[in-house]
Amino acid sequence: MGSRIRGIALNTFREAIRDKVLLTLLVFAILVMGSAKVIQPLALGEESKVIKDLGLASITLFCVLIAVLVGGRLVYKEVEKRTIYIMLSKPVRRWEFILGKYFGLMAVLLVSMLIMTGGFYITLFLTGIPASAYLLWSLLMTLFELAILTAVAILFSSFVTPITSAVFTFAVYFVGHLTRDLRLLAAMSPSPVVKAVSQFLYYVLPNLSNFNIRGEVVHNVLLHPQALALSALYAVVYTATLLLVSVAIFSRKDF
Amino acid sequence: MSVLVEPVIQTVKLSKVYRSGFRMKRVRALVDLDLEIEKGETFGFLGPNGAGKTTLIKILMGLASPSSGQARIFGRPPRDARVKSRIGFLPESPYFYEYLTAMEFLRLSAQLSGVPGQEAEARVRRLLKLVRMEDAANVQMRGFSRGMLQRIGVAQALVNDPELVILDEPMGGLDPIGRKEFRDIIAKLRKQGKTVFFSTHILSDVEMICDRVGIVIAGRLVNTGRLTEILTEKAESIEVTVTGVTGKFRKVLERVAQQSIRSGDSLLLTVRGDDEVERVMAIVREAKAKVSAIVPRRKTLEDYFMARVREAGRN
Repeated sequence: MGSRIRGIALNTFREAIRDKVLLTLLVFAILVMGSAKVIQPLALGEESKVIKDLGLASITLFCVLIAVLVGGRLVYKEVEKRTIYIMLSKPVRRWEFILGKYFGLMAVLLVSMLIMTGGFYITLFLTGIPASAYLLWSLLMTLFELAILTAVAILFSSFVTPITSAVFTFAVYFVGHLTRDLRLLAAMSPSPVVKAVSQFLYYVLPNLSNFNIRGEVVHNVLLHPQALALSALYAVVYTATLLLVSVAIFSRKDF
Repeated sequence: MSVLVEPVIQTVKLSKVYRSGFRMKRVRALVDLDLEIEKGETFGFLGPNGAGKTTLIKILMGLASPSSGQARIFGRPPRDARVKSRIGFLPESPYFYEYLTAMEFLRLSAQLSGVPGQEAEARVRRLLKLVRMEDAANVQMRGFSRGMLQRIGVAQALVNDPELVILDEPMGGLDPIGRKEFRDIIAKLRKQGKTVFFSTHILSDVEMICDRVGIVIAGRLVNTGRLTEILTEKAESIEVTVTGVTGKFRKVLERVAQQSIRSGDSLLLTVRGDDEVERVMAIVREAKAKVSAIVPRRKTLEDYFMARVREAGRN
């Protein structure tokens, strides 16, 4: 079991790193972080915070882009190019295939994040801003957020085209950061339809704003370990649920 | 253990209905298909395009599920992973991961098939040699030609040393040399006692290598049998080519023959039996013309196939 999932994950990883999309995104991300040097004079004495915030935000954004763009094609491409025939003709169970794809993309994200983080710390060093490891907490939480997002992308990828999947996954990402507003909308709207819909979305969509602690780490605010642990647990449970749904859909599929 | 030898492939009243197009029209891809393939058989599954060959293969490989009826391989449902580890499969016009090299892809195939590490390495090399792809082993597959992909496809299908090999249109798009090599590989598998099931619409290939064929038309299995049973050895008709006959002799000859085709001063006559050949010869002698060829025509698989397709069209 483990060996097959590993094989599929490694193959997914290889595909991504030999693909131009990933390379382009990485180069672009490093350029954006490098541009911190240019905006330094605009930051009016707050440069340390602005550059840290910009760096962390770019890493998150580019990782989200990778998850959405690469993830959206992940399963679809195998079906379209019929490589899935080969995969499923081996003693590979369908859930192993989905998990292999998932972990492969997570590995891609982890490596991309490490590269970008390296670039980020080099930028901090070059601009003379003291770099602290405290910032890494924010990236750790981003990783949990990406775990959810990748599962969303895989879920969509198993039944819609890459473009539709990318649009839906982005939508989930944006609305996922606004779920508190959704609850507010549900409470305040006089229309029962709006109330019902926003309430439904609030419960179904992932609450992603919990994973954004950039403000806290940049401003050196004390973090609450319990809250972080709870968010992590939430990510694990939410991801597992999404993967189960993906497997259920994928298992019923005819190719 | 059961004493009875279980068929390698067995389908019982297997049917598949697709819904396709905007109006979700029902398309019956397979209709009540009963089939049994014994161990060690080389079975050719024949049919025109769209007859349901690929649908059956997809069901056998667990890629699609039947609408009704059942399929069993080694007595188990096709999606059972234990079944898969005993099968090798080559899909129609296979396409592989173009970013992988041939070697990497075969290693992946071996890993997914559960072939242990050191054994896998040796096996991959042996297979690359078998399909004559050693030189391209470390080249990314993106530039591979159709024939090269087909060879790698065979290699990946054999990586688990399968007892049953299922090939979907293995000769499609291959040149005559490629087809010959393919036939040799199938013959080799047969000699090793493996069961081979393949679909094709190229009849000459089947005639040379199959023990038994099944003919599928519009989703129905219209016949299965040994080739020698389907095709009788006896000559069906005799073709006589005559040159230099003119005028009334030609008219007489045309009346004797069942069929005649004129081309320049030669005449191709199709007659039924030896008596008619004698009559043609007598007329030719009288006309002082020449017989340039006498060719007995056996019923070929192609004739049989065409007749069946016509029959199905009429019903």
